[in-house]
Amino acid sequence: MAAIRISAEARSEFGKGAARRLRRDGKIPAVLYGHGGEPVHLTLPGHATMLALKASNALLDLDVDGQRHLALAKEVQRDVVRRFIEHIDLLTVTSGEQVVVDVPLHITGEPAPGVIVQQELTTVSVEAEATHLPAALEVSVEGARAGTHITAADVTLPEGTTLAGDPTQIVVLVSGAPTAEQVEAELAAAEEEVGIVHDAPATEETAAEEATADAEAAPADDQA
Amino acid sequence: MLIPRRVKHRKQHHPRRTGAATGGTRVTFGEYGIQAVEGGYITNRQIESARIAITRHIRRGGKVWINIYPDRPLTKKPAETRMGSGKGSPEWWIANIKPGRVMFELSFPNEKVAAEALTRAIHKLPVKCRIVRREGGEA
Repeated sequence: MAAIRISAEARSEFGKGAARRLRRDGKIPAVLYGHGGEPVHLTLPGHATMLALKASNALLDLDVDGQRHLALAKEVQRDVVRRFIEHIDLLTVTSGEQVVVDVPLHITGEPAPGVIVQQELTTVSVEAEATHLPAALEVSVEGARAGTHITAADVTLPEGTTLAGDPTQIVVLVSGAPTAEQVEAELAAAEEEVGIVHDAPATEETAAEEATADAEAAPADDQA
Repeated sequence: MLIPRRVKHRKQHHPRRTGAATGGTRVTFGEYGIQAVEGGYITNRQIESARIAITRHIRRGGKVWINIYPDRPLTKKPAETRMGSGKGSPEWWIANIKPGRVMFELSFPNEKVAAEALTRAIHKLPVKCRIVRREGGEA
């Protein structure tokens, strides 16, 4: 994945007042640290950073007042309701350095009918070179039957990437789906407990009775 | 229905309604979720009703997670009773929901059907909600 160039400014004002002023101007306060160096406080452009972080494990090429830094987003703090970025922790990396990152897992393929595919792990830890991090990994469940389980070791990794987590961890579990009767029985019991009553389906007799009642009520309405 | 088996205090004060959720704000188990946009009290009946609405729509082949638990009792005085004479008796069990909280999660292969099921569940809840997806991109 190519590094995304972002021009940043060094930040000298700290605290919630300064941070809120930056956010009002559409900027994001951030901190860059790593490799035992002193942390550098930064201001990032809001929109460009948000777009860059849409990809997982995006590598940022920061231009801080003429100095270049390669960095990975270590933690992104977001507003829980409006989802805008409040602050970013950036980790300095160098080209060729091996880093451990969590890569999202995507399930592909169509399993056998009558099964439920449960994704137990949504990300898997891998070690890879900082400039060649995989954006996502795919796990195929094509034709998988009930009882099948796929572990982290079964995930196909791209060249130069190794698994960093536990290889025996279960990633995907395929189990048998409950039958329609089982689902219906469970729902009926739950509805009875809550007190949900369904309307009886209209039969021909009840429909005819309703039509007669409507016809009788109509002249009375006219007289009124 | 979800009801605590045992509580330390039968009657509690009303839970605070201010502030936003500090945890449980992301979809972690399933693919899609229902996120509260405003705060409120959700009773165990409403939770169960929403769960039934989702399960009725998706039938088989999916999985539902309930991330909230109604662990707070609310009391009520009987009708036409004079004030005083102590606190009323427990009437409801509620979960105190803050904005941003992901309350239900769903894993289902068809996105359209999943969105329909979650919309039906949102209609059973007393707070404004939105459907959210699991975030795969950010750190």
